[in-house]
Amino acid sequence: MTSKKRERLEVIRDILNTIKQNREIKPTRLLYASNLSPQMFKEYINELIAKEFIKLEISDNEKKTFTLTKKGNDFLQEYKIIENFVENFGL
Amino acid sequence: MDLYSVVTEHKWILEALYTLIIFSICMVIVLKTDRFFRLSFHNGIRYFRNAFLFFGFGFLARYLFGFSEQFSIAVKIMFEYFLIMAGFFLFYSLIWKKFASTEEHSSLFNSKIIIFHLMAITLAVIDGLWQTYNLMFFSQIIIFAYTSIISFVNYIKKSGKYKFLKFYFIGMLLVLSAWVLNFLAASVFNWNPIILINIGIINVIFFFLFLYGVIKATK
Repeated sequence: MTSKKRERLEVIRDILNTIKQNREIKPTRLLYASNLSPQMFKEYINELIAKEFIKLEISDNEKKTFTLTKKGNDFLQEYKIIENFVENFGL
Repeated sequence: MDLYSVVTEHKWILEALYTLIIFSICMVIVLKTDRFFRLSFHNGIRYFRNAFLFFGFGFLARYLFGFSEQFSIAVKIMFEYFLIMAGFFLFYSLIWKKFASTEEHSSLFNSKIIIFHLMAITLAVIDGLWQTYNLMFFSQIIIFAYTSIISFVNYIKKSGKYKFLKFYFIGMLLVLSAWVLNFLAASVFNWNPIILINIGIINVIFFFLFLYGVIKATK
């Protein structure tokens, strides 16, 4: 039960970290880096966009890239504390 | 004059202080956890935060119940409802993943939590009409017995890495014992003030323990 939830937080952290390291990244590259199925990837991406952790930018030549928002960056900074809190309280 | 006599003599001042302490602790926990919820959108944190929000309101309503004569039944129903919901929220914060779905936009009113609301209102209203506390006591004893078991399992599984799991389990045992003592005080000991004082002490220890845990884990 607990490990499933930690995995979810870890997946989010990994996606955000990948975007941060690349500054901007194409959806296909992020999909490969995330090691998720396309369907799961889509769910996570939609969730992260809805939560305003990441932003999808489309250039003039319709090239799509993901970038990290301030909120996403804040999450990464506090990830360890949040994880520590969640695990210490069995949430 | 012994301690218990002093406490009994200054009952209303100490009741106010007791409520203020617990309400303040609850609000600190709510504010701290709310910040982490807004960053992580983690449902466990959200239900945990709700539990302490309802604990805070419950203890405030409990204090007002002592003063209110004209609206005493309404206030009693309200304070029972808040305390029962607090127990449900804390319990649900540990098991939410088993029932999680993507459509839960609100943690106060969603398809699962509405069941808890209906149960809490029903129990509080029946207790109010019957002029008793028994349904609240029974529901909370059952809820915290389950919560104690879950927190014990969490402690056994991960105690080496996460130190507060042990204190969480101890906290649940404290709340469980407080509810059992409440039930005994009401049904067997005719609201014996010594037992009530001890329940108050147990409650304060529980809330300080969780405040300590929240502050330490979020430092």
